[in-house]
Formats: sequence, C-alpha cells, structure tokens
Amino acid sequence: MFNSELMKKLSDCFGPSGREKLIREMIMDEIKGLADEITIDPLGNLIARKKGNGKKILFSAHMDQIGLIVTHVDEKGFLRFANVGGLNAKELLGLRMVFDNGLEGVICQEELKDKEKLKISKLFLDVASTDKEFIKKNFRTGDMCVFKTEYYETDDCVICKAADDRIGCYILIEALKKHPPTENDVYYVFSVQEEVGCRGAKTAGYIIDPDLAIAIDVTATGDTPDGIKMDVKLGGGAAIKLKDNSIITHPVVKDLLTELAEENKIKYQYEILEFGGTDAGPIHTSKEGVPSGVISIPTRNLHTSGEIFNKFDVEECIKLVIATAEKE
Amino acid sequence: MFLKELTELSGVSGCEYEVRNYIKSKLTDMGCEFYVDKLGNIIAHNKGRKNKTIMLAAHMDEVGLIVTNIDSDGFIKFEAVGGIDQRVLNSKPVLVGEKKIPGVIGSKAIHLMSSDEKEKALPIDKMYIDIGTSSKSETEKLVNIGDYVSFKSSYAEFGDNLIKAKALDDRTGCSIILELLSQKLDADFYGVFTVMEEVGLRGAETAAYQLEPDLGLVLEGTVCADMPEVEEHDKSTLIGKGAALSLMDNTTVYDIDLVRSIAKIAEDNNIMYQYRKSAAGGNDAGVIHKTKNGAKAAAISVPCRYIHSPVSVASKKDIESVLLLTKLVILENQKGEKHV
Amino acid sequence: MLKEFLFEVCSNHFVSGFEHINGDIIKRYFQPYTDSFEKDKLGSYIFKSSGSSDRKIMLAAHIDEIGLMITKILEGGFLSFISVGGINPASLVAQEVTIYGKDTIFGVIGIKPPHITSEEERKKPHKMKELFIDTGYSKEELEKLVTIGDIATVNREPLSLQGSVISAKAFDDRACVTVMLETAKELKKISHKSNVYFTATAQEETGIRGAKTSSYKIAPDIGIVLDVGFGKTPDMPSDSPELGKGPIVAYGGRLNSKLTKKFVDVCKKYNYPLQYEAVPAITGTDTEALQISRDGIPCILLSIPLRYMHTSVETIDLYDVEITGKAIARFINELDNSDLEEILCF
Repeated sequence: MFNSELMKKLSDCFGPSGREKLIREMIMDEIKGLADEITIDPLGNLIARKKGNGKKILFSAHMDQIGLIVTHVDEKGFLRFANVGGLNAKELLGLRMVFDNGLEGVICQEELKDKEKLKISKLFLDVASTDKEFIKKNFRTGDMCVFKTEYYETDDCVICKAADDRIGCYILIEALKKHPPTENDVYYVFSVQEEVGCRGAKTAGYIIDPDLAIAIDVTATGDTPDGIKMDVKLGGGAAIKLKDNSIITHPVVKDLLTELAEENKIKYQYEILEFGGTDAGPIHTSKEGVPSGVISIPTRNLHTSGEIFNKFDVEECIKLVIATAEKE
Repeated sequence: MFLKELTELSGVSGCEYEVRNYIKSKLTDMGCEFYVDKLGNIIAHNKGRKNKTIMLAAHMDEVGLIVTNIDSDGFIKFEAVGGIDQRVLNSKPVLVGEKKIPGVIGSKAIHLMSSDEKEKALPIDKMYIDIGTSSKSETEKLVNIGDYVSFKSSYAEFGDNLIKAKALDDRTGCSIILELLSQKLDADFYGVFTVMEEVGLRGAETAAYQLEPDLGLVLEGTVCADMPEVEEHDKSTLIGKGAALSLMDNTTVYDIDLVRSIAKIAEDNNIMYQYRKSAAGGNDAGVIHKTKNGAKAAAISVPCRYIHSPVSVASKKDIESVLLLTKLVILENQKGEKHV
Repeated sequence: MLKEFLFEVCSNHFVSGFEHINGDIIKRYFQPYTDSFEKDKLGSYIFKSSGSSDRKIMLAAHIDEIGLMITKILEGGFLSFISVGGINPASLVAQEVTIYGKDTIFGVIGIKPPHITSEEERKKPHKMKELFIDTGYSKEELEKLVTIGDIATVNREPLSLQGSVISAKAFDDRACVTVMLETAKELKKISHKSNVYFTATAQEETGIRGAKTSSYKIAPDIGIVLDVGFGKTPDMPSDSPELGKGPIVAYGGRLNSKLTKKFVDVCKKYNYPLQYEAVPAITGTDTEALQISRDGIPCILLSIPLRYMHTSVETIDLYDVEITGKAIARFINELDNSDLEEILCF
C-alpha cells in the first residue's frame, strides 16, 4: 500500500543542496525508534544503522533537491540567482518558487530579443513587494528557494517536485520500517548535496567503509513521445542500473540484485543511462573500493517541478532493498 | 607586511619552490613549528587553546605558463597553467625557468594581420616567447621543455590604498596566514600553504587528509568585477568593501550557519564584509570540506580586480578586514563557546 | 616474450568494469616474475615483487580498454549500443565485432549504402546512436543470447608491421602493462631493496577509478605511472614525439620534479633514449588519482608513443616498450642506492 501521506510530506519539505536541515529533521522524526543508532556526520548526512555482526551494507538516498541560491537582492524586490544543481533557464521561466520561510516569488526574464539566448543570468525572481523594508528584512544573498508545486496522484502514478530523490528517501524509510531479521550491519544513509556533485556520499562512504553499497535514486525513462532512447519505462519495476557516468555496476552486484529480484518475484528492468551519476559514484571508489550498484526508480520529466513516477515501481524497489538487506 | 616580497616571487602551479622557501624562512625566523608534506604543502602549527582542529589554507601557486616546445629559430612555445584569458598575454614581459631568463611574449604585428585575424582574439598557439636568441640550440642552453614561466610585474601602491601586483590570488592569503602565525595567538590552528590550487585543488586535498580539520578557513584572492558597464548584480565583489564571504561556488555549498556566524562576528566588531555574489569559480574549500569524514568550511576572501593577470589590483583595507575577521573567527572557535 | 604477451592480451578483451574475465592471462605472465598477487575491490591486478626494505614503489598501467555496451535489442537482429570510455564513432564504421553474451556472437557494424546516401549526409561523421550491430539473428533468437548490458569489442588481430612496429587494439594501455612485465623480468635478475607493486589498474578509461582504489590499498612511497602518448603522424607538429625514440617523460604539476629529474639522469647515465613533454595540469592518466591518494604520492609519468589512439589500429614500436621496461628497472635499482628522502624533500 503506497503511503501517499509520507510521500507528500517528503516532497513538500524544503531542502535544497546544502540546506537540508528541515528535511533531515522530518526524516529523523519519521524513523524515530526504528534504528539502533542514528548519527549526523560533519556534512549533515543522516545515518541510521541497524546493527549486526555480518556484512556491512550501505544504502544511500539523497535528501537534497535542486533549487536556486540568491546572489543579489536589489531594493526593488528583484532577486538575482544561480542554480543549485542541474537546472536550465528555459525550464525555469514563469515558475513559482518558495523559500524556507514560506515567502514566494515568480521567475521573470529581462526583455530579450533572442529568446534562444536565455540564460539564468538574464532571469530574476520577483518577490511581489514594493516595500523596501519588507525586502531588506526577508531576503538575503545566500538564501535558497525551491519549486512551489502541489503534490498530485492518480491510482498508479504520482506527480510531484523533488521526487529526485525524496522517492529514494521514501523507499529507505519504508524498508527501514520493515527491516528484516538479519546478521548484516545495515546503514541507511540519507545523504546531502548529491545534486551538486554527490558530496555527502563521499564522506558517508569514507566513514562507513561498507562491503556493499547500493544507491537508491531516480533514473530517466525512454517511454515518452520522441524521448531519449532507453529501455526503462514506468511500471516496468525496479530498475537495476548497469552503467552511468559515475559507475559501471560491479558484475557481482548486478548478479546479486538480479538473482534477488528473480528469487523474490520482484519485477525488474535493466537500466543503462548515458549521462548522470549517483551517490554510488564516489562510494564505489572510496578507500580500496566498494562493490556497488544502484536501484533506480524510473521517473519522467526529471529535474522539473513535476516529476512523475509509478507507485508499483516504488513497491518493487522497496522489496528489492529489503531482500538485499537480508542477503548474507 | 609580507605581500610585496611574496608577489614578486615566482610560483606557477607545480613550481612553488621560491614561495615555499620564502615562507619557510619566515616561519623559521618567527620560531613557528612546520613541516613540508609529500606534495610540497607547508603545514605550520600555531599551538594554543583548542576545542577543534582549525585549518587555514592559502595557496602558494599562481597562474602562469609552461614551455612546451622550442622552435627551430629559438622561439619558445607555451601553454597556460591555470585559467588565463589569452587576451592578457599579448606583449607582456615574462621570466622563464629557474634562472629567470627574461623574455617577452611576441605575436604578429597588427600591420601584417588580415582583417579576419584582427577580429579574433589571438590564440595561445599563435604567441611565443622571445628571449633574444637566434637559434634552437642557443635557446636550449637556457630553457628546457617543462620550464615554468611567470609574469614579470612588480608590486606597486596607487590610488586610495590600492595595490597592483601579479599573483595577488593568492599571495594575499599567504601573507595573511604568515601575519596570523607571527601574532602567536593563544588559539590553536594550522596554517597551510597549499600547492597547485589553480590546476585542480591538488595540495589542499592531501593536507586535509593529514590534518582532518573540523573547520577549514580558506583565505583567497577572489573575483572582483566592479568595473564600469558591469551591472550591479554581476559585480561579484566590490573593492574596498571588506572581506568577501562565499556562499556557494562550483566546488562548495558553504555551511550557511557557519557563514552567517562569521558575518555576525564581522558586524559585532565593525569589520567591513560583503557576500560574494557569484556561484562560479572554486577554491581549496572544495576538497577540504569533503575529505575523509568531512568538515565545515568557509572562504574569506580579498576582492581582486583583474585576477589572473599581471596587473591584479586589491585594497589594503580589504586585506586588513580579512586578517582581522579571520583572527576573530579563530579566537571565537577556540573559546569553547558554541558560536560556529 | 613481450610481443607474445602483448599479442595474447590484446587478442582478449578487458573492457572497463569487466577486467576480471580474462585475468588469468595476466597472472600467467606476471606470476613467474613476482612473489605475490592480490586485487583491489574494483578489480585492479596487483603483483608484488618483494624487496628487503620497507620502501614501496607502485607502477601503474591500466589494463582496461574502451568497448561497447548493448543497450537495446531491435527487430531484425540489430543491437543498439553506447561506448564504455571515449570512442570516436567514425572508427566503428564497417568493423567486425564480438558480443560477449551467453555465447560469443559475431556481428558487423554497417552503414547505409552510398546509393541512398545524400552528398550532404556523406560529409557528416556518424553519431553513436546512428550505428547498429548486425548479428544476423532474429530478434527472438537474439534475446536468448544477448542481454542489455552485455559488452562488445571490435575484432582486430594484432599485426606485425615493419621492423619492431606493431599494431592492434588496446595497446592503450597494454603496451605499458608490457613495460611492467619487462621491468618485473629485469628485477627478477637482481636483488632489490624496494617492494615493487606492478599494478594493472581497472577502469582508467571511465574515470581513473582503479588507480584510486589500488593506490589507496598499496599506499606506496612513490608512483611510476605508465600510459601512452601521441606519437607523431603527418597531421601533428613536426617536433612531436616519435615512435622508436624512447618513452616520453612528462613535466608538470602532477609530477614530482626532482623524482622526474632523477629518472632523466639515470636514463642519460645508461644511454636510454628519452623524449619530453610539458603537461600544465590534467594529464588524463592514473597520475590524477595517485598524486592525491591519502597524504600524497610523488609520481613520475612515462608515456609510450602511440599512433591512432582509441582506434583498433593503435600502433607502437616494441622497442620503446622494452627500453622503457629496462630503464625503469635501472631507475629502481639506482633509487635503492640513493637517499629517497633527500630526493623527495622540498
């Protein structure tokens, strides 16, 4: 049964890269009492551990989302900004954004002759106020904002912002709730700063130094009109990543995940992504190396204010995470 | 002030020995404990009251050129080391190699250029260094492939408290750390003079690996674009407006609580500061904050106009602000009260 | 023996991430000359030649090669693919390939015939996504044999050209693995103080990954990185390094200048030919990882001149391989008798 309430809460919670305080607190609250040990490392990764004497397994889903950082506030209420994570100017135009204090703005552009040349530096955020005092008091260089969009769902799919990677967080929370009896020493990591270069995972991987690492993150799909050429589709089940720019999945891990999926009748599909990377990138080259892989959630319309995923795929991912946690 | 002497030394990334030797001798003079690590970083230790491990970092290296070839007439071909806009190279005096052979960067005279050529910035591979020799063998006696080349530009003071020199990025940081070490504060910190920042933050990573800091403070010379015809929001920093605090760049999202706490220290002590209004660029904080278990990091910078050119400009007042603010941040953090 | 090894190892595949499949070949050649063997967790091969002191010297040359990965099985028995590592799609046109599925399958990469290709089209090089492997099977048959994620490589028999010049795929960087074999052979003849780690690193082509994990594991005092460099062809400047004139020694910030100078001095002393290059910043070799491993590893970088890099007809002079292997053995021997601390001190 899909826990819509939890997913909505996760999607709505503020947490762009480097500003994960609120989302971290929300997840901590959600997993209270479930883990044997909960720590926060120096970069802010939330690490929930289920102790055991066996194999050390690290699961990682990132808490942070893409957003904008204010670089300049002028007294008329126009804010200049830079992107935090992969965003491009054309997709931003006209969107509503919200700050951690609940204040909002809308993205506007300078009058441009050549619309093709639209760059983020030509956009600004209008925060809807002509009151200089209000602006001075409420907006500072360094503030961040994120998309403002409503969570929406149908029977089988969800549209929301920050599905990347709150859906991964959702999967880890649900898996932690159903953590199987096992001798394995399992670390559920809710990482920071993935969108700006998988930075949190680098330190978490170093600290934990696991025997096996699995990142849980979204991946693109090839099932949209004139979309990218790849086999992954919504409803096709958990995607087992074979390659992206950050990793070639360790053959042992590929076989492990495939066997677990088949043994447990979990629907799965293989994924090869020609771009991008996940937390598994820095983790698998940590220290002497860590056999690593990725369980991906097929997601359409990535890095936009309305990302779309399928609930069935999510359920299959949870099952695969649990099966992996249990495997000796 | 160590800045004049520091800027007049050569120290292109990967060839920092002149700067290193100078700093080593100053540290020895002031009786400061230090060692040089395997990559050539100097790690100096100021012992004092301690709550956490603080690492101050400034890079010794500067952008410059490297000799790639000597042509049959004895002219020297080169490539840039670090990010240099090729347009600043035209007609500059330079010093080549350890022997500091003087030379000039030459190119085709404008009279001989086609109208097409005049329209385009001259690419680096169309420029060459002329040291006054007339044959390959003559040049080879003085210069080898792999020799480093630095700008020849002397330190000068001008205008209202301004300085012109090369390599203000980051000899300003080096001079501030030296100054702080000479003050013998009763607060523990490591002053690290790193190598090869300009070619990929190389030295800082291994230094952080050794020190495992809780707090990294990077002292930099940073981009300043307060020139005519630049729009207000594009002026990443303003000269003379104080220490620039970084919020985000290509390598780091700075810990916001730490940055705001540093701003508060500046406000409480009437030190001029500004936020760096750009998310581009990067510095040693990028590797310091994610080495091993990770660390909190901040960058406190001196705005430098015409950075990465032989005529960089900075304000003595800003250097003073960075020095004072950094000192207070160290003292605050080693006091034992949870300020940062 | 060097040629035999090189030809055998280049007739088998070691695509990045799949270096474990044909590892026995490397072991068979290296083990007679070394004392112990282990792997890091990404699959780099580490052969240790034990010495009498604590000093550790790491040699690194990557064993992996660029290859293809199957992304889709299409109607008519065609396969879509992407590259693993950087391949110029132009070099794939009209090649024979082997797909390593449940079985090894033969295929060809063909293009549309000139009769139906416009003048305009012919001027443009192909993109990877416009190329397909033709297996001759039906889709149904093919699905039984091939799975998404299987790898493929271009078929190429190693060729002996004139003199000691040879040509094959994947000389980048197996020419340098062969250099290590020569060094191991030379060191076997003498008693050496340093512990020497011959490391055939994994996944260099996809991001210098195996060098990162293997250097962390070994934690050596110094590193000698071996890779291939661009050998002179008619389209390059006249003073470019050439085949048959010895290894190219690199100068630049990624390398330790005093250690490099020591190597150059040793070569001059024993009349080994050398060529030189300046590398201002990124070398694109295992040096990137080694230099900043743990608290830092002072490195030198030597390159074997090679023509037509990242194609199936990479061409080298075996003389350069042999001479470089011998020069390194001599260098290690000289280092054993010098004060390394002194050389490495700033």
